[in-house]
Formats: sequence, structure tokens, C-alpha cells
Amino acid sequence: MSLIEINDLSVEFHTGEDSVKAVSHASFDIKEGETFGLIGESGSGKSVIGLAILRLLPTNAEVSGNIFFQGQDIFSIKPSELRKIRGKHIALMPQNPAGSLNPVLKNGLQIKEVYEERGIDKKEGIKKALKLMEKLLLKDPEKLLDLYPHQLSGGMRQRLIACMSLSFEPELLIADEPTKGLDPEAKAGAVDLFTKIKKEYGKTMLLITHDLDLALEVCDRIAVMYAGEIVELDEASKVLSEPLHPYTRGLIRAHPRNGLVPLIGQSPSRIRLPEGCFFHERCKNSGFECSRQHPEMKTHNGGWIRCHFQSLQ
Amino acid sequence: MNYFVKRVGFMAITVFAVCALTFFLVNLIPGGTAELIIKHTIVGIEDSVTKEQLEQISSRYNLNDPLYLQFYTWVKKAILTGDIGTSYVFKKPVLYLLALRLPATIQLAGASMVLAAVAGISLGIYSALRENQLSDHILRVATLFGVSMPGFWVALILILIFSLKLKLVPVSGYGNLENLFLPAVALSLHSVAAVMRITRTCMLETMGQEYIMFAKSKGLPMWKIVSRHALKNAMLPIVTVIGFQMGSLLGGAVVIEKIFAWPGIGSLLVDSISARDLPMIQGCVLAIVTMFLVVNFIVDIIYTHLDPRIRYG
Repeated sequence: MSLIEINDLSVEFHTGEDSVKAVSHASFDIKEGETFGLIGESGSGKSVIGLAILRLLPTNAEVSGNIFFQGQDIFSIKPSELRKIRGKHIALMPQNPAGSLNPVLKNGLQIKEVYEERGIDKKEGIKKALKLMEKLLLKDPEKLLDLYPHQLSGGMRQRLIACMSLSFEPELLIADEPTKGLDPEAKAGAVDLFTKIKKEYGKTMLLITHDLDLALEVCDRIAVMYAGEIVELDEASKVLSEPLHPYTRGLIRAHPRNGLVPLIGQSPSRIRLPEGCFFHERCKNSGFECSRQHPEMKTHNGGWIRCHFQSLQ
Repeated sequence: MNYFVKRVGFMAITVFAVCALTFFLVNLIPGGTAELIIKHTIVGIEDSVTKEQLEQISSRYNLNDPLYLQFYTWVKKAILTGDIGTSYVFKKPVLYLLALRLPATIQLAGASMVLAAVAGISLGIYSALRENQLSDHILRVATLFGVSMPGFWVALILILIFSLKLKLVPVSGYGNLENLFLPAVALSLHSVAAVMRITRTCMLETMGQEYIMFAKSKGLPMWKIVSRHALKNAMLPIVTVIGFQMGSLLGGAVVIEKIFAWPGIGSLLVDSISARDLPMIQGCVLAIVTMFLVVNFIVDIIYTHLDPRIRYG
């Protein structure tokens, strides 16, 4: 049973005369209890999908396709209904914990307000939050409530944000690049945190990351994105150990552990996308067809792949 | 604490510099001081002045001393006894006369400042939330008019419409609320526009921050996001502008008070300048400068309450 279904989602940002195609025709579903990973390089459209699910995209974004959450069409519900879903049923763990906490409000207030909105008594809310903070390895939680965000370390801020996002044990947690910008020690801490969240809450999670280690550690299935498209989708272990799409292969070879072999070239301009396969200009296996015809998603050995590559057939 | 001592010291230096500047500038105005004093106090403006009268007045007020000595005597007396002189025209201590006129000016400038803050901030927020919609454009054009129209001209137009045509409020006078209405509106119009502009800009910038998006993802209603998360962050530059507007309000009050026969320091200053009533001019300038400095000192204290990251030491 899938908890959320994303059908043919496209997002374009209009900036003056041009429009940037951030996401093109992305479709996938996340099953109940599953941890689904969206991986890809920066700017591949991963985060945009995360924000689209909560309708948090800026006003200059043009969205098409639809998203069904527990059967509800997210794009057509009223704002008041949407508010009820946000934070309670679908919660976001934003990237950049430093920028996501309000610098002029005390940590306590920023935690409390999540409960306050649902009519939960302040004291009750604080009690719940403290319990959650202790669970998520935050020391001296009571002291933290009286401090401001700038008085915390990066790792602490991230845990604090995790507390806010998990307040209601949401059915779906969207974690957007949780390891971005963290030092190695905090990164290891984040991996612990997510395995803990997964184990203790067992909730459905959409993990948006370019950290392949984290993805392998916690994800059940993975979708690889390139230039706004999903190019490969399969079980995490399959994608990361026997990648099929040339881009995924390049991505994995570029990992420091696998020799840090960079992918040659750059991802295409999203204002004018290349004809044919978006990846063909950088692809070693690129053939005649690749520069002419845009590949469609095809099933392959139980997974999905978007590639003309001959050996796959 | 150290900061406060430094700050007060700095204010004292500013007050001294302004007093010195005023003293020497007033003495640069062509025409004999003694002659003008006699014309304003003993004989009529059109009458001629005798040599005996000139000598008598000059020696009574030490006008034959070199300027620096006159200034030194005034400063010494002011610091040692707190006596900042006696008005040549009214023959009463300057401090007493100031105390008589100060409440009216504080009332007018205070009302205008409150009007500028309340109207400016709320219109600015409204405009920012309706960015690029029709109401935003109308308000922006209106601010352009607001900052371009001189206060004294607005005052005359307001009198024409509200007093003479509609007969809603009296043309001039002092004492009750309906007297305050026109001068306060005329005086504050410029500041309302200035505060509105900065509020719009700052709100737009703040509303694009990541912490606003995160607050939305928590399911908070819009009014809470604006009032709690956005406004407090946007407030810093707004408060700065309001503080600086105090200068233009006090300056504008000089003319506006004259137009509406408002018995404040502004109109007293204008009268004193034409009578060359030096101690009175000094007193008025001293009062105005002190008010401006105190307001900006308060603004700096408000800073630390608005943004916990700011600490003076």
C-alpha cells in the first residue's frame, strides 16, 4: 500500500523571460514504512520534489502533475486543510539547520509552536518535546529551550530540527539533505540519528541526499535524479552496488571510496535542455539514438531505468 | 554598563557641538543683535533705536565681549548651575519657557511618530504580502507622493479640505484631540511613506528566508508566520528608520507648528530667531537635539531586545 503517490510531477520556475525546468515528469510512490531515497547532484531537482509535496514552492513555480497522499490530492485541497497536514502528517526536515531556525526566537518557542497549533497544552507540549529531545541524544534539553539558535552547535541545531519535525510522529518525514554542510563527526552523528529515527519510529521517510553512504545505510529504495528527471529507480542495494544507468555508475565512481573519478562535463542548462537523452553529452555509451530521442522510463529486472543503452535490452 | 557610560558621553559631546554651532551661526546673521533685541522688547519694530539704548542693552547682556567669551560664559553657567540663560524677549528663564512649550511638541511629534510606525508598518506588511498585485502598486505610487510632497504644503491642503470645505476639524488651536489630528497627519505623512517603504522591502526579504519556509512546513497559519517569525526579523532596519524619522519630525514640527499655531518649541524657535533671542534659540535647539538623541538611544536599546545576537559591550 503506497502512502504517497507522485504522478508525472513537473516543476518550472519562471524568471523573467526564461523558465527553468527544475523537475520533469517525475513519478514514484513511497510505500508505508519505507525509506525512499532521492539522490543526485546538487541542482538535480531533488529538493524541489520535497517542497512540492508540502506545496512550499515559491510563487513563481509552475507545477503540473499530481501528488496523492493517503488518497488526498495535495494540489487541490484548501489551504486550511493543507495546514492540518503540514507538520502533523507530513513533516519537513529542511536542509541547512542554521538557516531554518529563526534567529530571533528562543528554541523553546520554536518547538512549542508546533504543539500549540494543534490545541495541545503548552506544558504538555514542552513535556513531549523534552522527552523527544532526550531520545534524540540532546543533552540538557531544558537548558536548550532558553537559548537562541545561534548559541547551539551545528549538530545540536539539526537534532533540534529533527525534534520539531518528529513532534507528531508524522506518517511521512521528508528529510532534505540532512548531512549537507556537516563536518565528518556530525555527519556520522546524523547517520546514527537517522538509523535511530527509522528504528524507533518506523515511519515512512523520503530522504533527499547526495550522501551515498547515508543513502545506503538507511534507504530501502532509491531514485537517482539527473537534470530534473528520475533516471534510475530500484532497491537501494541494487542501485548502489550494481548501478545500471551510466550516470549512476559515474556518480558511484566519483565517490572518494571508489577512487574519486569525476564525471566529465557539466549537467545541461535547465533553460534549454538538450535533445535526446539529457545525459548523452557526458555519456560514454552514448549512441546515435541517444542524441535524437528522449528515453522513456522502462522496467528492467524489477527496477526502472531511463536509458537507450543497448546492453540493457 | 561601560557601553552606557560611553554612549552618554558621546551624547554630551554631540549636544556641546550643536550648541557651539548654533551660537556662532546665529551670530553670523547680519544685523546687530542689540538693535534687534531693543526693537522686539523696548521700542516697536519700525521705531529707531538710540545710542544710549544700544549701549545699555549691549552691556547688560555682555554683547560687547568677544564671541568666544560670550559662549564660554554661557557654557560655564549652564554646566555649573544648570541655568541656560534668560530670554531677552520674555525676561523669563529659558528652562521655564521650554517646560511650558515642551509638552505640546512632545505631543505632536509623539503622535506623528506613533502614526508613522503604526500606519507605515501595517501598510508595508500589507504591500509586501500582496507583492506585485494591484493594491501593492497603488500603495507604492502613494508612497512616492508621500515622500515627495513637502509637509507645509500638505498641511495647507489638509486645512483646505478638512477644515474649510468639510468643516470636520478646526483650522488651528491646541488642547484636544481634534486639534491634534491635522498637524499630526501633515507632519507624519512623509515618515509614514518612508517607514512603509522600508517595511515592504524588509518583509519581502524576510519572507524569502528558509526559516519562514520551515515555519510554514510546521503548519502555522499565515498571521502567525508574519507576526511572530517575519516581523521580528524585519524589525531591525524598520526601527532604525523610525529613529531617524524623529529628526525629520522635529525639523518638520518647526514649520507645521507655525502653520497650525501649535504652541510648541518649533514655533517658539521661529519667533526667537526673528527676535535674535539668543538664549531662547540655544534652549530650543538644545531641547530638540536632546529629544533626537534620546530617541535614537532608545532605538539602540530596542535593538538588543529584537535581535539576541546583538550585544553592546
